[in-house]
Amino acid sequence: MVKVIKGVLLQCDPTVKQVILNLDERDHFIIEDLDETHVFVEASCVEKVKKSLEDLLEENTYKFESQPPNNKD
Amino acid sequence: MSKLYILMDDHGHMVMNTTFREQFRNALTGGGEHQSFGVPSSSVDRHRPENVVAFLDNHATRQWESILHYMVGTASMQTPKKAVRDLLVRSGLMSLRLDTNELKITNKGFQFLLQDVNTQVWAFLLQYLDYAEVLQMDLVEVLNFFFMLGSLELGQDYSVEQLTDTQKQVVEDLANFGLLYRRKRSSRRYYPTRLATTLTSGNSALLGRHPVPSAVNLVAGEDIATEQGFIILETNYKLYAYTDSPLQIAVLNLFCDLKSRFANMVCGMITRDSIKEALTNGITAEQIISYLNSHAHPQMKKSMPLLPLTVIDQIRLWEMERNRLQASEGHLYEQFRCQADYDNVLRYAQTLGVVLWSNARKCMFVVTEVGHQQVRAFIQKRIAQRKNGATNSSTPTWQTQRNNM
Repeated sequence: MVKVIKGVLLQCDPTVKQVILNLDERDHFIIEDLDETHVFVEASCVEKVKKSLEDLLEENTYKFESQPPNNKD
Repeated sequence: MSKLYILMDDHGHMVMNTTFREQFRNALTGGGEHQSFGVPSSSVDRHRPENVVAFLDNHATRQWESILHYMVGTASMQTPKKAVRDLLVRSGLMSLRLDTNELKITNKGFQFLLQDVNTQVWAFLLQYLDYAEVLQMDLVEVLNFFFMLGSLELGQDYSVEQLTDTQKQVVEDLANFGLLYRRKRSSRRYYPTRLATTLTSGNSALLGRHPVPSAVNLVAGEDIATEQGFIILETNYKLYAYTDSPLQIAVLNLFCDLKSRFANMVCGMITRDSIKEALTNGITAEQIISYLNSHAHPQMKKSMPLLPLTVIDQIRLWEMERNRLQASEGHLYEQFRCQADYDNVLRYAQTLGVVLWSNARKCMFVVTEVGHQQVRAFIQKRIAQRKNGATNSSTPTWQTQRNNM
């Protein structure tokens, strides 16, 4: 029996995939874990995933210039 | 020409069509009733400015520049008229930001800024034609006027009385762009500026080469600077720009963190944040790099490659960083009864070119939103076929279970 599910295919590198898996532990949005670089998720969560991913990557970036953080962004 | 009945064969002589000959002569000499070269104003302009050419250059530069300034977001400049803003949005050079309700420069807009003035004017006029259609203006009349523009003479005043209502509207709008000058709205005459008269000449830098009072002529300054190049970029991401044009500085400010400003130069730094901001505005890394490349200072040209590789690579990396996650909507097909069914459907989907991802071992594949309808129809057709031909019980039953559809 064929089953059809609507959702969003996320393509990413393995690192980001791990981050997504981590996020999933809290919210459970992954429909199917396809392979190393692909995950199939619910459409409603995409924006949230993108946002938290960006925040996480931001945390782990080091600016090579030591200046007081400006409030621009 | 014979095919167009312009030339006719008359007992071995070539004869030109009489009407065509008359009009042709008119066109060449500028005589007759037609107005393809504009109608010079018959009365004397009492308000004619002194040194009219310089005045017009000044006016053209000021108007055009105010539009460019508005695009890069220089705060101090006055906002252009609504017609100009509408055109900017319609042409996709700027887009309305919902959160702040302000206009913001787009990817296309940035590209636009990098072109020379003549190309910009042409791009603007083309957009204007598009826009005119929306406003239900007669395109033929607008085009007619544009073609006439190119043949007008600088410093000559032309009368608006012969123009149609549509064309009068065009005169009004072009005056906003700085292509034409009118003293006031009700004025019966208009002067074409250098922006308009050089349209067809193909001599793009005319605005810059002409001796004009240069303190105010920033576009001219920009052209000269563009020819020479003024940016020095160092391997430590520091950037020095030898320019005093507010426009150039504003362009730099789009992707560079400017630190200090001196009389004839600005000094800034390319940082992750500054590039990120440019990227969020839709400017691509490639555009930034090509801009830096084409405006590099002659001193930089001594080194090979022109720009420090570290910086270029880093800008590209910063851009890639933003696109680590790619999302595409689709439908996941899974739980096929047997390998053959899977192969069959997948092959069909592949011929349609809608497969985003597939894995034979898991017997799953993902198709795009567009392809889903067709693939579903294909499966349903197969189910129907199976049912009709289901004489023996071993035939697998096909069924689509719809989830969230």
